[in-house]
Amino acid sequence: MIKTEKHLRLKTGTGRTVRVVREHYLRDDVSCNSRLCMAECRNEGPGLLPKDVTHYVVPDCQVTRDYLEILEFPEIRGVLFTGTVVHSMQHQAGRRAHNRLRNLLRDPRQECAVFANEFQQYAYCPREQGETLEKWQSRSTYKAAEWYYNHLAGQIPVVVLSEDPQIQEEYGPMTPGVFVVNMGEYLNNFWPDLQAAHDIYESLVAGLQEKGKSTGGSKEYIDYLPVEVVEAGIKSGRYLRGNLQVNKHRAQQEAFVRMSSSSGGKDVELHTDVIVVGTALRNRAVHGDTVAVELLPRSEWKGRSTAITDNTEGVSSETEEESKSVMPTGKVVAVMQRSWRDYVCSFAEDEETQGQKKNPGKVLVIPYDYRIPKIRISTRQADQLKDHRIVVRIDSWEADSQYPNGHFVRSLGPSGDLETETAALLVENSISVAPFSEGQVKELPTNTEESPWVMQPEEVARRRDLRHTHLIFSIDPVGCEDVDDTLSIRKLPNGHLELGVHIADVTYFVRPNSLTDLEAKARATTVYLADRRYDMLPSILSADLCSLLGSVDRYAMSVLWELDNKYEVLDVWYGRTIIRSAYKMFYEAAQAVHDRKPEEELIQSIPELQELDTDTARNRLEQICWAVDSLMDITDHLRAGRLREGGLELEGVEVQVQLGDSKEIEKLVPKQPLAVHETVAECMIFANHWVAKRIAETFPNNALLRHHPLPRQEHFESLVECAKAQGFSIDTSSNKALAESLDKCVSKDDPVVNKLLRTLATQAMSNAQYFSTGSLPRDQYFHYGLALDQYTHFTSPIRRYADVIVHRLLLAAIGVEDERSAGVVKNQELEELSQHINNRNRAAQHAQRSSTELFQALYFKDKDPEDECCTADAVIFSLRANGVLVFVPKYGVKGPLYLKDRDGLVVCVEKDGTVSNTSGTLIRKQFEVVVQSTKGSTTFRLFQHLTVRLSLQRSRAHPQTLTVTLVAAKPYKPDLERVKGESSAPARTDVVKEVKGSSAESSTSQGSHDTTAAMGSEFPELLCEYGQSRSCDTLYGLMEVFREMSLAEA
Amino acid sequence: MCHKIRHPRYWLILPFKMAGLEIISDQGYRIDGRRSSELRKVCARMGVFTQADGSAYIEQGNTKALATVYGPHEVRKGRGKIQHDRAVVNCQFSMATFSTGERKSRPKGDRRSQEMSMHLRQTFEAVIVTELFPRSQIDIYVQILQADGGNYCACVNAATLAVIDAGIPMKDYVCACTAGFIQDSPLLDISYVEESAGAPFLTVAMMPKSEQIVLLEMNSRLHADNMEKVLDLATQGCKDVFAVLDRHVRDHVSESHALMTAS
Repeated sequence: MIKTEKHLRLKTGTGRTVRVVREHYLRDDVSCNSRLCMAECRNEGPGLLPKDVTHYVVPDCQVTRDYLEILEFPEIRGVLFTGTVVHSMQHQAGRRAHNRLRNLLRDPRQECAVFANEFQQYAYCPREQGETLEKWQSRSTYKAAEWYYNHLAGQIPVVVLSEDPQIQEEYGPMTPGVFVVNMGEYLNNFWPDLQAAHDIYESLVAGLQEKGKSTGGSKEYIDYLPVEVVEAGIKSGRYLRGNLQVNKHRAQQEAFVRMSSSSGGKDVELHTDVIVVGTALRNRAVHGDTVAVELLPRSEWKGRSTAITDNTEGVSSETEEESKSVMPTGKVVAVMQRSWRDYVCSFAEDEETQGQKKNPGKVLVIPYDYRIPKIRISTRQADQLKDHRIVVRIDSWEADSQYPNGHFVRSLGPSGDLETETAALLVENSISVAPFSEGQVKELPTNTEESPWVMQPEEVARRRDLRHTHLIFSIDPVGCEDVDDTLSIRKLPNGHLELGVHIADVTYFVRPNSLTDLEAKARATTVYLADRRYDMLPSILSADLCSLLGSVDRYAMSVLWELDNKYEVLDVWYGRTIIRSAYKMFYEAAQAVHDRKPEEELIQSIPELQELDTDTARNRLEQICWAVDSLMDITDHLRAGRLREGGLELEGVEVQVQLGDSKEIEKLVPKQPLAVHETVAECMIFANHWVAKRIAETFPNNALLRHHPLPRQEHFESLVECAKAQGFSIDTSSNKALAESLDKCVSKDDPVVNKLLRTLATQAMSNAQYFSTGSLPRDQYFHYGLALDQYTHFTSPIRRYADVIVHRLLLAAIGVEDERSAGVVKNQELEELSQHINNRNRAAQHAQRSSTELFQALYFKDKDPEDECCTADAVIFSLRANGVLVFVPKYGVKGPLYLKDRDGLVVCVEKDGTVSNTSGTLIRKQFEVVVQSTKGSTTFRLFQHLTVRLSLQRSRAHPQTLTVTLVAAKPYKPDLERVKGESSAPARTDVVKEVKGSSAESSTSQGSHDTTAAMGSEFPELLCEYGQSRSCDTLYGLMEVFREMSLAEA
Repeated sequence: MCHKIRHPRYWLILPFKMAGLEIISDQGYRIDGRRSSELRKVCARMGVFTQADGSAYIEQGNTKALATVYGPHEVRKGRGKIQHDRAVVNCQFSMATFSTGERKSRPKGDRRSQEMSMHLRQTFEAVIVTELFPRSQIDIYVQILQADGGNYCACVNAATLAVIDAGIPMKDYVCACTAGFIQDSPLLDISYVEESAGAPFLTVAMMPKSEQIVLLEMNSRLHADNMEKVLDLATQGCKDVFAVLDRHVRDHVSESHALMTAS
């Protein structure tokens, strides 16, 4: 069976000292990956060139390296990368560029392909003696293009892109039908209308020219060490490898290198992060990069600053005494991997300082994110875009340049505008929210008046029909539209109970690798912002066909448990079903049923019963009552079991924590959580748990689970400290002990104390994460928060992609044949995917939080600082060297309160209560900060209440923030009373409404974004239904969100 | 049928970056252009030396091995080793000093060579019908001339041919092949670069007709779930090797026969 058509070629090379001999097999069965192929190539997989383009493009190595961004345009299809190009990207352009190319190739929408020309017998050309690498690469690319053209029998012209004029001259006229042009000509001739591509081309060219003429003069930074030296150094422990995190508040001075777990294993003393002080030692590393650091001698170690600062430049309060505790200090010797993304930037205000004489057309732009250094770009549109926020990419950072070089990508719109700001925060979080593509919409079924969606009879036959046998109902918040989950319960003939959880069958509609699937995979989650949401799935699915609405037939994925009288699980059944939800109940209604409210009232609250006559309705009602009651019984039992194992009382902890963080929740959280919330949540946890069990059993190597690691004890320090200030003790030894001790921390006269402590506890938690079972040892599968050994996400496939994968895995596990091949991916791929989903989730939450902050900021934008609503009560929750951090319960704002300003003046409270700035000193003690000044001294204790004024700090380039100034060192009465009375603080929707109202005109008149325009016009409705369909409304959803939200604020 | 093109100076592009090399591309090609279940090119010759009783030379890709067989003859050294019911098989493995990228200082007798010799002895004691030659000894000397992954396999295959050349009866051919498990997929006949990737691989020597495994070695841990896939592939590989070896033996025999009848 030996393939005789293979041809053996030996490559001999001398590296440094080693002589490496490689075989190279040439073959004639290399597939061409074109749909036009008439020969018998085995063309399959996503990367196939399309039929319907006018030409194929074959870029050479240099073009691919320099202009990959242009080739990434969705308009430019039919790009053929040769194997030579892919190899050269891999070896010469670095891992990041290579990954981008790989993603481009894997995306079927781009319709790009690889032709492994080096393995093709006739397209391969060996490198000749004395030939430079570049020449050979170009020659082999050309030869491949020529072969390709002939292979397709000249059906389609092939355009080779090369920047080398010699190559153009030499090969251009060689074969008719194969053209050789450079990128500029190509864009002019083939894409004259693609303005965006031209813009990027220009700025890329400018960037490249800049790179070419590096002055070689005085170096601003030290050169990086060669890779092999660094790798050897990391192995020997001389250098440490980690992720660079810049301190947001002291971006110029402080950055921390967080050690990756794999490195520094030998160095036992290094448990903490390494601090990198100053930009010179940071050596061109940008926030998020993976770097190698070398530790400085111990005598040069520094401590982290404990002062609170803002980022206004030139304010280096060096007088600030450095705290005594030093930490390992290092310098960056090499950047292992860049993690540059798109940055939102804006032009600086004073144009004069910008116009550097030596290179006109160069502009420094200021990134939105404080942690990113200024970027030098070249653009001719600086004047037009003066007040706009723009998207910029970094290209390089040479050692002789103080700032990185980048290029302009696109403009987001005038700064300060709500739409622009929202777009900016989406870009900052790398969230793409383009409307769903046409091809994708075509793929989907329709459900309109004219062509209603109907079930396929064969599909009906394949599924288990629960429409007549089971009483199925959903319990949701008022007004919910996308119903992910429904419940059922019934008594089996043998006296046992059967509990059922039925989840929308998204995977039936979303086939693996369909366009909808790819888009959903890229988005990974539905993104909720303060005033809008960006769906993961098109609305035809999310709000209609997948949604398990009442009284219509829907496909579902069901889990049915048979429970004995003691509610022990005897048997479990998983499978695809057809259901018809009989009742779409609201939480309140379900609770009312449980509480045995009068019948009339109950019938009133369940719309499905209203049309029936009284007797039937009464009968039905009895059924419902029984169902709800037994459901609650079961879940109480399950829950008790879980709590015994040490499950955290999440609704207690997490929900209220978030009360502190953003006030959307303030509105959402019911004053007294209904017992039925827990019931639904428990059912979902139960279903997730059982599905996790099943898929982990069938796919021990490649099942997608979710784990919640143990929190690190040192993270609890600030919590324990704070609690001590109030005389409470916190036991963090286990999840159960923690929950119990938190419950005890209730101060009678101040409800805020408990909330703040819970906030701190949440911050100490690790994040729950998705992972592939093959990539972690079994003992790390557990879920700390829920106290379960295995857990996954199964119950919300409409808004989370992880659930879609889990559905496919479950289907494969139970042997639904058509899913077997496509739905299961290998461990490595799944692990990559789960990392992607984790990242997207984190980004979505960041965006959500930034969006909230944006609205908070805009709310105060037009307010007079003297306005009553700007004055509020605040609580001190953390002490710093020059001030305190306060929490304003009324608006859910946290911020720094400076007690000592830049000129060294301290805030002093006089006897009559007025506040003034005088000279004085600040003394920080364990639980208090004492201000001593000529006019007397004031003490600020932890948890002390203050009256503060909130005002907006306007910022041109950065996110607008709220500043807090002291009004009086005593509680603000009106607020305090309000808090005590637990009456509603100004609902978050009001803030949204107000801000929206003021900017609605501008946003609608602009109509810039299709989605946003649509949003703008129907904005009142949106407001009323704001959040209604987000699962956050369910307590379970809240828990899930908050568990994920416990991100350390970097 | 088989062109070999040599390029004496092919400068490698940045050898240290090879660490991040992907062993199998998205298109399903390995570094050298093979697909995952393809063997390297096998070339073999039998009867390369006339003074030895049997000899063979084999090339599996860039791994080249030479085997010579002496015997069966009476036990010369160490009479104590004599077995009264069967022949003793004596194997010696060595690697030429020029076989690797850096010159080897010790061609034989180091730990790895000794281990390899032992494995070879075990393999061939199992397949040679030793009962036919009581109180005698069979020597098998194998030398790796060039190492590029799968040294043991090349040795076994070369020795098989040499034993056949020597006319010593065997129960069956014994063929060896490696199979690795890299990036979640099994790969057949892994080369040195692939071996260096650090993934687990399996070395199998088997009698292809009866599918009896003579020797099985695994270099690192592999999940039990994947074992079957890898073993199946290795089995298939051994059978493929057998097909090639068998053809060579038949060619060799018919050639010799033609020569003999001609003379």
